[in-house]
Amino acid sequence: MNWPSCRRSVEAERREPVEATMPRLDLQLLTTTLDPLACLVAWQRQLADLPGGMPAAEAHFTGRVRGVSGQGLPLEALELEHYPAMAERRLQELAMVTAQGAAAVLVAVDRRGPAQRCGQALLEGLQHEVPFWKREWVNGVGTWLEGNTPL
Amino acid sequence: MRGPGDGGMNAVAEATVRVKLFAGLRERAGWGERTWPHSAGLTPHQIWSQLPDPAPAHTVRVAINHSFASFETPLNPDDELAFLPPISGG
Repeated sequence: MNWPSCRRSVEAERREPVEATMPRLDLQLLTTTLDPLACLVAWQRQLADLPGGMPAAEAHFTGRVRGVSGQGLPLEALELEHYPAMAERRLQELAMVTAQGAAAVLVAVDRRGPAQRCGQALLEGLQHEVPFWKREWVNGVGTWLEGNTPL
Repeated sequence: MRGPGDGGMNAVAEATVRVKLFAGLRERAGWGERTWPHSAGLTPHQIWSQLPDPAPAHTVRVAINHSFASFETPLNPDDELAFLPPISGG
């Protein structure tokens, strides 16, 4: 999958402002190359506008497509399919669940522990509970993957 | 396979559900979305069992209106039913 930019979606711009204590989720599926550092900068600019300023702790994860297939062969392409409406709904639900876990330590939002745990919970949810499917292309043959790489 | 959505079965007033297949399931069946006649007590399992050469049910998850559900959940008219092959993540 390619991720082109990190600007907020039009849909996100239409939303009503959320309370500072509510979890925020901006989801975008992009069709051009992602610049993770530019994405990070744009996201942090949004955080700086929050009441109270930027939280002290952040967890970041960047995933990249491997150059080889699961069988170790040169990968020509990785195709990604998703179920749009359900994927967005599941991500919203996962964000809420994760935030509830962190809500117990909202005063501790400045700590690294909750930030990292929430980040991992969202990532693992994305891998197992959000309807995305990958297909590896090797030598012109596509193979749908069933499952994920080990944690 | 039976051809819901292909002929005269979908009269304007006829209650239907929308059935979606994804990834390998879609390619295996040769279609990604169809309407299916609704009848009282209709379940995902009943629809799944009418697909030709279905994948083993234990490898497939069901979603109704974008939420995970069981194969035995009764369907309502206008529901969107999706059969989901094993999720491999984003």
